[in-house]
Amino acid sequence: MAFNFNWSPLTADAGFYKRARDLLTTALNKSPKPPIIVDDIIVTEFNLGSVPPDLEILEIGDLAEDRFRGIFKMCYSGDAFLTLKTRVQANPLNTCLSAKPGFTSPQPLAAASSLTIPLQITLSEIKLSAFIILVFSKQKGLTIVFRNDPLESLKVSSTFDSIEFVRDYLQRTIESKLRDLMMDELPAIIHRLSLQLWCPDQIAKEDDDSKETSEPGVNPLATPPLDAVDVHGHLLDPAAISELSLDGGPEAQLLFSQKTLLRLSDMTNSQVTSSLDTSTTKDVLIRAWAGPDRFDATATPPTATPNLVRTSSYTASAHTYTFSDSGSQDNGSIPSRPSLVHLHSATAGLSLGSGRHTKSGRKKKTRVVDLRSKARAGTETEPASEQGDETSDAASTATNPMSEPIMPHETLDLPEDELMSSKIRFNRSDRRPSFRTQAPNAPLATQVPSADIRKTDQTEGQASRTSEKAKEPAAPETSKAEWKRSPTGPMSDTSSVILEQAWIMKMAGEIARRVYEEKHRNPGFWDERDDVPPPAYDEAH
Amino acid sequence: MREFMQYITNAFYGATGWNDDNTYKDLNATAKGLIDFPLPRGLRLNLSSLATPHFATSYQLGTIGVVDGSISYLHSTIPLTNIAAQSDRIPLSALLRSYRRLHGLGSRDGQWCWEAEDTTPAGAAQPAASTTSPSATSAGSTLLYGRLYLPQSLLEALVVRRLTPELQVQLSAVSERSLRNGGTILGLMQYDRGKYGIEGLFSTDGGLLGFRGLYNFGGDTSPSSPGSPTGPASSENSGNGQSSEKERIYGRFSAGGEVYYGTLNKSGGMSLGGRFATLPAHRGTPLTATLTINPLMGNINATYAVLAKDYCALATRMEFNVYSYESEWAVGMELWSNRRPAGFLLGADPRNQEVVPEPEVPKIKERSFQAKLEWRLDDEGPGPSVPNAPENCEEYRGVLKARMDQNLRIGLLWEGRAKSLIFSLGTGIDLRKLDEPFRSLGLEIQYSS
Repeated sequence: MAFNFNWSPLTADAGFYKRARDLLTTALNKSPKPPIIVDDIIVTEFNLGSVPPDLEILEIGDLAEDRFRGIFKMCYSGDAFLTLKTRVQANPLNTCLSAKPGFTSPQPLAAASSLTIPLQITLSEIKLSAFIILVFSKQKGLTIVFRNDPLESLKVSSTFDSIEFVRDYLQRTIESKLRDLMMDELPAIIHRLSLQLWCPDQIAKEDDDSKETSEPGVNPLATPPLDAVDVHGHLLDPAAISELSLDGGPEAQLLFSQKTLLRLSDMTNSQVTSSLDTSTTKDVLIRAWAGPDRFDATATPPTATPNLVRTSSYTASAHTYTFSDSGSQDNGSIPSRPSLVHLHSATAGLSLGSGRHTKSGRKKKTRVVDLRSKARAGTETEPASEQGDETSDAASTATNPMSEPIMPHETLDLPEDELMSSKIRFNRSDRRPSFRTQAPNAPLATQVPSADIRKTDQTEGQASRTSEKAKEPAAPETSKAEWKRSPTGPMSDTSSVILEQAWIMKMAGEIARRVYEEKHRNPGFWDERDDVPPPAYDEAH
Repeated sequence: MREFMQYITNAFYGATGWNDDNTYKDLNATAKGLIDFPLPRGLRLNLSSLATPHFATSYQLGTIGVVDGSISYLHSTIPLTNIAAQSDRIPLSALLRSYRRLHGLGSRDGQWCWEAEDTTPAGAAQPAASTTSPSATSAGSTLLYGRLYLPQSLLEALVVRRLTPELQVQLSAVSERSLRNGGTILGLMQYDRGKYGIEGLFSTDGGLLGFRGLYNFGGDTSPSSPGSPTGPASSENSGNGQSSEKERIYGRFSAGGEVYYGTLNKSGGMSLGGRFATLPAHRGTPLTATLTINPLMGNINATYAVLAKDYCALATRMEFNVYSYESEWAVGMELWSNRRPAGFLLGADPRNQEVVPEPEVPKIKERSFQAKLEWRLDDEGPGPSVPNAPENCEEYRGVLKARMDQNLRIGLLWEGRAKSLIFSLGTGIDLRKLDEPFRSLGLEIQYSS
């Protein structure tokens, strides 16, 4: 297998630099600026240079024509440069007094008069060294996460190079700001750029999505399935769908095919019990086989991920419940039964409590990540999907991300000692773990699923009671209720995002483990790094 | 509008005979007051009271979307007896007038300018006319002031203590959680010898050390001036020294400078400045001109303020930076009116008209053309030689202040008294953005008893 990384085509595109400059300008002016900067920061020149970065492939998690997941170690010491223009306040007394209460101000008469100086800063000789988690899919564009602080060193040359004090100050300030930029803004910028490159139709949608997600509660019927059918299999027109409301009672359930729901719940129940008879689903659509045009509003996961911190906050919640749920249920046997996998993914968000009655306490035993068997499993199902007709009803849209469900098991496959080591790694060596920002968000994010669990628990309890009498009729009721109550829209969207994030988390842990091992092997290097913080942290204000 | 506590603090300075002209900090206070007057934002309500001559309270409630407020208390060891604290009796000039006339130097007559005009209207302008000299009792007098801003839990404290007649110490502190180290303290030591005044200050914020000084010369400070003209007298009126003194532009020059150095952040600043202001004894148009230079930052700032008529004051300010070639200008205006503010709201009230008798405005003689050409006043006998003295502040009931700067931003402020409420209605207008020109709007109402 060979990878072909093209560095120059990026620069060959005439509009690329202009777009990148605009994106960088908006990113730099977003956060509140220190009082010394009195004007907007404008990126005037930006060049990626001709020297490509060194990439070392550490791990490839997923590989297909339209998808790629991998972890790289990147080292860069090329000739890229960046020129910024802004205006700064040159009077230290002015900046010093501007943020202070006026009551105790010494009220200088003219000593604090302002002197603004245009400033041009050129950043060059950028040296980067980073672990990069790269996720690419044709639908969602390119997502890059830096596992550690990527910036090793850079040279700041400015108008004030002759004045040592100013030069040092600028170097310090810019380094710390650039670190923030790399960790927070750059992934978002790259994501947007990739969306523009590969799926320009997503960009307009992204705005709509972000508007929608900002609403507190999402109506699942706001984005109804593409080809909604009623009980008898007739297509519903959108007008009829729009008339439905969440509390519309039985009408809402008519949206989803009774047959599909029946089958779904059947399979869920077969998971709950240890029944050996697990039916297969025919109408499966492999996401890898469908182009981006096949997936519209419902099928495509929400791509509104400009702020990575926000999206990764899902990860924590996904992490928590996939751990107890799928691990206890499937016991690592999933790869041999690929047909169940997507079913599980479809219901993972719905019937969270389904596994809790029977096997909640059990620990999984498989700890080996076997990617090949999964790949094989994926190919096995392909014929099945080809046979099945391609009309995507509610169920099939919900189960679209065929490959996603495999991923949470990898999260579980981490041995305990690995988890431990990752914790140590976070505490000691990594100063900027990407988890840090999401930690406060995690409790908030978990509230949604936990509420879900509570609700589904009730219905589950009813269902289990009724299923003693008659198992078949009870099942649709359960799933109907779940569909009705689930506060988030099409489950496939969120679950796929969640699972993907879970995979990233797992990879992050893996890297942490590697770094930790390396640290043990070569403690001197890392200790040095730990004890001497980067100059930006030295004199934090 | 000056806040009530500011008014009381000024009254304390007046009662202890402290001359707050003699500080470099307030060198261009006149132009600043005429141009940089604060605009009220939102709705603000002040309830104040000078409960005893020693104790004052003030409560403030405001809303700009969110409701906030403050509580403040003030204690003075010397009684503040002869000031009017009731809002229907407070002289509007004391609260609203921006043009600041110089006080007499070195006499320590203890007469605060506006109060003096009200309480002793006959002889206030002449320092010699002051009857009592409170400097003897002022030593050791103390002012304590505290203010708590409520939602923010911000606490302000101020202690002013007069150690000797020449020496005054001020200690101000702010405490708030968001500040570094929880707050800052500023200590200020002021020494006023009449001819010169110096100040030393220390701030815990950055370990700032500062030194300011102001030196007065010319006008009434020169030793020969009290009785005799400073220059060669005009041949026409050599007989009367008093009148010949006032014939020329009679004022005082002040020059000063300031130096700051932050011991912790190793930064500093300095400036030099000069001022010429006419003294109250000057009979022509009162004017104040200042020039400040910041040699480190290359900043030159010139202001010129003139009290064109008693009801009209104008000010301009030019700023230029020789390093960055940036320039700024701003003009400000203050127009007093003796019409009842909001008269259309309150309705005609003839009783109100009778309560306030129309004062006899002193007749200011126009100078002859010949005199103007020769840059002197008309010859005149030593008759009514007290200019502007019987000015009655109650003549005016409202004032319109306006300013404009080079960005075509306009500030308008209408202040006045309606019944026993003192109101201040202001708006900021940006002519560059004509689609939504009103940048701010505010109303402030003050009541005190």
